[in-house]
Amino acid sequence: MTRRKAFVVGSAALGGLAGAAVVLPVVGFAIAPVLTRGEERWEAVGTEDDFDRETYRTVVFTETPGIGEAGKTTAYVRRGSAEIEGEDPNGYVAISTRCAHLGCPVRFVQAAGNFICPCHGGVYDFIGERIGGPPVRPLDRFQTRIRNGFVELGPRYSVTNQLKPVRPRDPGEFTGGIWEYLYPPRPTVFPPPN
Amino acid sequence: MALKIPIPGRKKESAPEPGDGAANGNGASPNGTNGDGPTRAEKVAKAKQATVHHGTAAAKNTTDWLDERVNGTGIYTAMLSRKVPKGTNWFYTLGSSVMFIFSMQAITGVFLAMYYTPSATEAYSSISHITNEVFLGEFVRGLHKWGASLMIILIFLHMARTFFFGAYKYPRELNWVIGVVLIVLTMVMGLTGYLLPFDQRSFWATIVANNITASGPVLGPYLADFLRAGPDFSATTLSRFYALHMLVVPGLIGGLIAAHLFLVVKLGTTAPPWVKAPRPKGSRPSELVPAGVPMVDATEMNLNGHSGNGHVEVSENGASLPTAETDGAAEGPPSEGEAS
Repeated sequence: MTRRKAFVVGSAALGGLAGAAVVLPVVGFAIAPVLTRGEERWEAVGTEDDFDRETYRTVVFTETPGIGEAGKTTAYVRRGSAEIEGEDPNGYVAISTRCAHLGCPVRFVQAAGNFICPCHGGVYDFIGERIGGPPVRPLDRFQTRIRNGFVELGPRYSVTNQLKPVRPRDPGEFTGGIWEYLYPPRPTVFPPPN
Repeated sequence: MALKIPIPGRKKESAPEPGDGAANGNGASPNGTNGDGPTRAEKVAKAKQATVHHGTAAAKNTTDWLDERVNGTGIYTAMLSRKVPKGTNWFYTLGSSVMFIFSMQAITGVFLAMYYTPSATEAYSSISHITNEVFLGEFVRGLHKWGASLMIILIFLHMARTFFFGAYKYPRELNWVIGVVLIVLTMVMGLTGYLLPFDQRSFWATIVANNITASGPVLGPYLADFLRAGPDFSATTLSRFYALHMLVVPGLIGGLIAAHLFLVVKLGTTAPPWVKAPRPKGSRPSELVPAGVPMVDATEMNLNGHSGNGHVEVSENGASLPTAETDGAAEGPPSEGEAS
């Protein structure tokens, strides 16, 4: 190696080092939210007497703090029913209004007993299973618990077509089977309940 | 006197041989010119000119001063006074129109940023403040809003012109690729800008766009988390989109427009497909002399510098042309036997 070439390589290395010293922290700064998980939030949405088994009650609670109205979301809550397979009669079911197609807000239509999405016509039955339209999985749910007589809602989780809890997905993503690998786990979300 | 340091490539300039300066008087030149700049006589002539027409000469001197340093006239000529092919028409203004709209978006955007607050709780009210209370705010915001749609329309018209005129072909393929990247970046501008008013429509449109991103297998969920800065739409999402919209993407677009223009200036524009490219005389297939036809303008070809003897011979007997190009034509008119 000639003296000239040594200087070329040396100054390129120094320049690269100086560039990396700036770029790497900035890139880390920008992608940090992809790797970190926020604080687990639970919010009381009513007393135990507020909910019954036959129909849903609409509750509004804050899913993402700090952004006012935009951080609020709507859930449909009812008591668990012994007549529905796999449900705990002492527990609660909280169904997210976020459509599993592209995330529009669904509405529970009492007369039909179905959840219907206004955007592209997705339809779900009483327990949130897809019965029509473009959605790719049942409606998401929220974890529930009882504290001091109040029903509290916690982190979101998704379910498979057999209503088995899995980690939460964005709308449009399938659950179960090979899709658990094609949509790999994200560090930002909470694990599903058992 | 001076130390002789050998610098590769600049040996002659920086290290004159002893006695060189003394021989041609360069070293003793009082103003330090090395013979490249104007001579003393030229400067005197210029100064005399300046005394006659004071104002215009001063302007000319300024132009000259700049030209010597940045070659402004050369840049002006290359950009705006360059030669364009015959047949250049209004369709060729679409690219400039896009650039004009981009400049308009940049200018109105800068001024909108003076009033806009990129916060989830205040964005909507700051936009309605701009629209309803700020002097001409509705107009400036309207320019930005409608300009965005116009820019997309003009870009696709510009792309269609390039496609249908065949202007993407060699040697301009790279400019087509740069153009496609510019289209994608413009759409990113559309996506990120759509959220900023932060009304119901822009909020839900962004939610849907993010969910479409997330539904891509393997990388999709991570990309969506990156765009939202978390698993859900959050306080950081809006400022992230705002930073992309006003800092990151415009910078990329500006740089790529510079590259796009550089290539246009360097390679020139194409003629429309219906304008035949001029060819050097004699290279046209119809001008090649088929066998058996006496050459009419042999004298002209002689004038063009071809060797006279061979051509004259060919034109006289016309039986055989030795060149490869005319071999095909030498077969003569197709016979009826070939057709059946």
